[in-house]
Amino acid sequence: MTDGLDLLKKDWQRKGEELPKLSYDELYKMIWKKSSSMVKWIFYISIIEFVFWALLNLLSYDKDSLAMEKEWHIFEFSTVLTIINYVVLVFFIYMFYKNYRQIEVTDSASKLMKSILRVKRTVTQYVWFNIAIFCVSLGMFLYGSLRFGKESVQIQEAASNAGNETLFWIMVVGTIIIVIAAIVALIWLFYRLLYGILLNRLRANYRELKKLEI
Amino acid sequence: MNKELEHKFVTELETNQNIVHKVCSLYTSDKDAHKDLFQEITIQLWKAYPKFRGESKFSTWMYRVALNTAITLYRKSKRRVTTQNYDSVIFKIKTDEYDPTEEQQLKLMYNAIRELGDIDKALVFLYLEEKNYSEISETLGITEVNARVKMNRIKTKLRTILNP
Repeated sequence: MTDGLDLLKKDWQRKGEELPKLSYDELYKMIWKKSSSMVKWIFYISIIEFVFWALLNLLSYDKDSLAMEKEWHIFEFSTVLTIINYVVLVFFIYMFYKNYRQIEVTDSASKLMKSILRVKRTVTQYVWFNIAIFCVSLGMFLYGSLRFGKESVQIQEAASNAGNETLFWIMVVGTIIIVIAAIVALIWLFYRLLYGILLNRLRANYRELKKLEI
Repeated sequence: MNKELEHKFVTELETNQNIVHKVCSLYTSDKDAHKDLFQEITIQLWKAYPKFRGESKFSTWMYRVALNTAITLYRKSKRRVTTQNYDSVIFKIKTDEYDPTEEQQLKLMYNAIRELGDIDKALVFLYLEEKNYSEISETLGITEVNARVKMNRIKTKLRTILNP
């Protein structure tokens, strides 16, 4: 008895005749067209992220800020941060390059997806690292300005005048934490959207394959 | 890349282009998208070709690149509305060749396949292309046992559609 599946298989084999046929010339032209694969997208977005965060952290620096840092006694700390920044940037670029090179379209579907997600993870880690550095720097500058800045004396006076000094400082620290949390949340939301659009299907398919592994 | 390599590649692609067309029909639902995906697969094949050492048959190697491109690399340029009245080549059924019952059965099965997820489609595709489970497992990166289990589930599903 032939069942439906045999029928399907037979029909499938016959499909060959109905499929479009491209000529040698048409195919030849095609191999020189530009790819618009998702790996390319990930690559460009990653490069933009590296450049953006590196510029933000490393180049927002001039003579004035140097003098200010010395005045606020945070010069040493800031220098250490900058060195860490450079070392980590080099490390991440190396990791990115290494992982990116491992993306092979000839791998199995599961391995290919894993490689792409790994590249994305490297870049995400770099972004989180930068957010951490950003928060530490912000804390450092606030500390410097409150303790050694021009208005620090007035601020501290205002605090003691207000009567409850502890409460005042709790409020300052609380406000700072809220501001930082809001910034981080915004960045997080942005990345969720960006990579959500780009990687939704890939993630779903990867989950599907992983489910088959159990 | 030299002329000889180009020529060899395009000739092989020309001979085996059916595989790519079938993948495109399975994963897209209109002519433009079909063309788009075909082009992307061709580009990916060509980029990977210098590393193709001929350990496997050109066609075997092609299945992998074509499916990977369709499932993972290809980004639909626009959100396309799948229209029910448009049938891509692969789902078209020639009426004169079959008796009405068979035609109805094929229609039901093709509709069911079209509704499957990306991974399930790949499994069905490789099954219809008469690949064995060891090849299927290597192409998708899952174990042979799991490929078999999953495929059996899909087959049962398709059979239930025919005999509810």
